Amino acid sequence: MAVTAPTVPALPSARVRGRAAARATSRHHPLVELADELAESTGRALRALAPSAVLRLEEEIEERLARVPLRKNEYGYDPWGFHPAVARRILLLTSLFYRYYFRVELAGVERLPAGRVLVVANHGGQIALDAAMIATGVFLEGEPPRILRGMGEYWLPRVPWINIVMVRSGSVVGTPKNCLDLLHRDEAVIVFPEGVRGMNKPYWQAYRLQRFGLGFMRLALATRTPIVPVAVVGSEEQAPGIANLRSVARLLGMPAFPLTLTWPWLGPLGLVPFPVKYRITFGEPMEFSGDAHAEDEAIEKLVRQVKRRIRTMLDRMLEKRKTILSIFF
Amino acid sequence: MRRVLITGISGGLGRLVARRLHGRVEVLGVDRAPWRRPPKGIRIHPLDLRKKKFEDLIRTERPDAIVHLGFVRHFRTEPALRHEVNVLGTRRVLEYAVEYGVRQVVVFSSSYVYGALPENSYYLDEDAPLNVSRTYPEVRDLAEVDMLATAFLWRHPDLGVVVLRPVNILGPTVRSAISQYLRMEYVPTVLGFNPMMQFVHEEDVADAIVLALEHELRGIFNLVGPGAVPLHVAIRETGGVPVPLPEFVLRRTIRRLFRWRLFPFPDGAVDFVKYPCTLDGRRFVAETGFRPRHSLPDVFAKFGRGDDAWR
Repeated sequence: MAVTAPTVPALPSARVRGRAAARATSRHHPLVELADELAESTGRALRALAPSAVLRLEEEIEERLARVPLRKNEYGYDPWGFHPAVARRILLLTSLFYRYYFRVELAGVERLPAGRVLVVANHGGQIALDAAMIATGVFLEGEPPRILRGMGEYWLPRVPWINIVMVRSGSVVGTPKNCLDLLHRDEAVIVFPEGVRGMNKPYWQAYRLQRFGLGFMRLALATRTPIVPVAVVGSEEQAPGIANLRSVARLLGMPAFPLTLTWPWLGPLGLVPFPVKYRITFGEPMEFSGDAHAEDEAIEKLVRQVKRRIRTMLDRMLEKRKTILSIFF
Repeated sequence: MRRVLITGISGGLGRLVARRLHGRVEVLGVDRAPWRRPPKGIRIHPLDLRKKKFEDLIRTERPDAIVHLGFVRHFRTEPALRHEVNVLGTRRVLEYAVEYGVRQVVVFSSSYVYGALPENSYYLDEDAPLNVSRTYPEVRDLAEVDMLATAFLWRHPDLGVVVLRPVNILGPTVRSAISQYLRMEYVPTVLGFNPMMQFVHEEDVADAIVLALEHELRGIFNLVGPGAVPLHVAIRETGGVPVPLPEFVLRRTIRRLFRWRLFPFPDGAVDFVKYPCTLDGRRFVAETGFRPRHSLPDVFAKFGRGDDAWR
């Protein structure tokens, strides 16, 4: 952007003068410029070391990001804090997981309609990698590529750095108002109506759908948004849960504190998920109409239809996993 | 509308509003601080909102509208005095308005009344609860002023009360908390947090106040500028260096420095650079057609340039 250097008047304090002088030469403070240069050269050095597969993937992400319809301001941020330059790095990481670690098998992504849409999926696996894999799939394999907007747990904005990653990659705190605003702006939003109930259940309840919240259906009715049911298989085996220590979670102010086969016994290493095979299937869009403010019973009837669809898709996908090996291959 | 009274007319925003109204309507102002050379025809009464002379002035002058900008927003005075001027002052303004047939009162509130909380939606609308005293009790008078004005709005259907809640105001003359913060060369931030923040130029705020009068608005309105950027971008673009510090270090340091009067605000303010407090401004735009004339780069480039505009 073209900015003319401001004339510097006689200013009262040395502090302000230093700052005005910095502005007169460039818009940024010399220290900020130095930090930028350092970051850039580090990036270049890292790129020189990266394998060619990673570079190709990066190019692919770049090309797809350019095709995502976004409403950016002068600094490249969309109204919810999404930023392509930051998202690019996050997407590179999730895409590496998508292609080479979980080797995701995606089906039916072409069923995702253009315009506003609510993606509703089953939840599992202790950390929301299922959300990341669905979103990466829609970005890498959907036409045109889209950014799925996640509805984050209320706890996430309190976590240092995680809150930044969440917002820069297109997600927001899962308040009804945020979801309404996003749908009104024709965005694609992903929700997990099971929430923590689904994500942090022990392994013997794997793929057993927990109680669905009703909020997503009210929002869909209020905004006349089609719902696309999605079934995910693989997430439950990435970190099989043993128990969820609710009291510890409450003490730490976290939504859940799961014990898994590896966490916390192996320390930070225990956070690494098993390299399971992810299978994700998108169902046909479902359209609902009715009163968004109806009694719970009426809403529940509609929610049950969505739940049943996901249930059916899950069963069909699970049948195909004949042996224990097919969890990984 | 023929005669408009502006409280706090000598402040940066008061002057901007006065200059805009000057010539179109008769402008008179009150302020404890002087405005040495106001434009010809603007009458300034150096008086205190809490004194009886203020009532006398309204009784004799009978303004059609009051723009209420006379607030203490800094922390250089005792909290009790700040509370008294802001809350009691607003109560007086509104009571006299009812008593002496003023048709419209614009009460200048703030986006801060919503509070900066982790679970805040982006784009809080006017119905969102006023949560600021939960985390930042030092400025609960802001929320009290806002609620007082809202109460008058419902209690007196004939009085056109406008509660205006602007986002962070930047500009060469307005001395908002956020501008004091961004004017530092090394700007302390919370390590691991970088919330989206909305900014609006002071001249656009003055325009909005005039629009509110012109359209004879009534109700509560968020006032949003050209858009939002993360805090660190705002710091860089205004020529500063963000210095991220661990939260407990930051809070402790600020608490101490504030007690020694070396820092302009208490540590409750930290929440506003940690969590988002961004507003939905569609209601005001729908009613008035308001469009900010200053873009974000414009707001940042013009910020603080004329520190001598006061002289």
